[in-house]
Amino acid sequence: MKYAIGIWLTFATWALGGTLDFKELSKEINAEADAMSTSAEFEFTNKTNKAITIKKCDPGCSCVAVRISDGKLRYEPGESGVISAKFDMTNFSGTVDKVIALFLDEDPVDKPSQVLKLKINIPVLVALEPKTLKWNLGASTTSQTIHIKVIEGQTIHVMNVKSSSEAFTLKLNTLEDGKLYDLIVTPNAMETPGIGVFRVETDCKIQKHRIQQAFGVVRKPTPAEMTNKP
Amino acid sequence: MNTLGQLAAIIAISFAAAEVTFLVKGPPVRTFLCDPAALKPDEICLEQIPKDTKILWVDARPRKKWEKSGLPGSVLWNLDPTENNQKFEAEIVPQILETSRVIVYCGDENCGLSREVAKRIRALDLGPEVLVLRGGWQALVDAGRIKDSNPKF
Repeated sequence: MKYAIGIWLTFATWALGGTLDFKELSKEINAEADAMSTSAEFEFTNKTNKAITIKKCDPGCSCVAVRISDGKLRYEPGESGVISAKFDMTNFSGTVDKVIALFLDEDPVDKPSQVLKLKINIPVLVALEPKTLKWNLGASTTSQTIHIKVIEGQTIHVMNVKSSSEAFTLKLNTLEDGKLYDLIVTPNAMETPGIGVFRVETDCKIQKHRIQQAFGVVRKPTPAEMTNKP
Repeated sequence: MNTLGQLAAIIAISFAAAEVTFLVKGPPVRTFLCDPAALKPDEICLEQIPKDTKILWVDARPRKKWEKSGLPGSVLWNLDPTENNQKFEAEIVPQILETSRVIVYCGDENCGLSREVAKRIRALDLGPEVLVLRGGWQALVDAGRIKDSNPKF
C-alpha cells in the first residue's frame, strides 16, 4: 500500500504546477522626462521537470503592453524566455508602480502564480505645491500661496496663469526666473462656495509637462475640521 | 492486491469522491471573497461599506468598459494614454467636495490601476477618505451591483 500512496503522491506533486525561475522579479527604471515610453525585460527559465504554459500575462493597465518571447507560451524543462513590458508614460509622472500578473497552467482566474513588479521614476519637471488651496465658508479673506518649482538643472518659465472662475484673483511672483515662482491666490467672496481651476502655462518643451493645474475651493469645513477646531 | 491495483483503487476513489462533490455541491463558484483581515491599509471590502454612506465611485477601467458596465452613478478616471487626465481631475473636484468618501475600483483583484488613481485623488487633498475596492469591479458584479448582473452571495 505504501508504494501505491508514494506513487500517487509523486504523481500529485508532478501534476501541480511549478513556477518559472526569473532572474529578477522586480525592476526599477529611471525614465527620461521627454520619453513617451520605457521598457523592461524579465528573463526566465523553466527549471522544473515539466512543461509550463503561460496562460495569461496581465499588466492590469492599458498603459503597459506585454510581449512574451515572440508569442511563445509553452516552455519545456530547461527552456528560457523573456517577458518584455513597454510602459506608455503619456499620463504619468513621478514614481509609478506597475504589477504584471503571470497566470500559469491551472492558475485560478483571480490568483496568478507569479507577479512581476516594475517601478518607474519619471521626473516631475514642474511641481505645484500644494495642489489644492482651501478656505472655509464665512472665514476672513486671506491669500494663500501655491509654490511652483522647476526641477533642478532645467529652466522653465511660467508664461501665464489663469483661473477658471472669477471667484479667485491670481498674482504670480517670480522668485527666480525659470526656477521658482509663487502663485498668490485670493478668493473674492467667502459667503458662497466656489471652485477654481488654476492653469499654469509654461514654456516647457515637453508637451505633457507644459500645462499644470491646481485648485482652490471655498467650502464648508469637513466634519473632521470642525472637530479639530479649537 | 498488488501495487498497481492499489494505485488504481486510490485513483478510482479520488475521482469518485470528486464526482460526488460536484454532483452534490455543484461546480465551483468563482466568487470573489473579501477577507477584511487581509486588507491593505487603503482598501475596503464591499461588505464593509455602510449602505447609507454617500460615496463617490470612481471607475478606473477603460472608457468603453465603464460605458458598458460601470456602476450606476460612478465617474470615470483611468490612465489610458488617450485620455486627458487634467480634464478628469478638474471634473472630479466638485464631486469630491460633495461626498464623504471616494472609492476607486478597476477590473479585478490583479488590477493595480485603482491604487494609482486613488493616489492621484488623495494628492488633491480635498478631505474625503479615498479607498480602493478590494476585488474591484468583479466584487460589484458578484454582489449584483452592476446592471444585468446577478448576486452570487
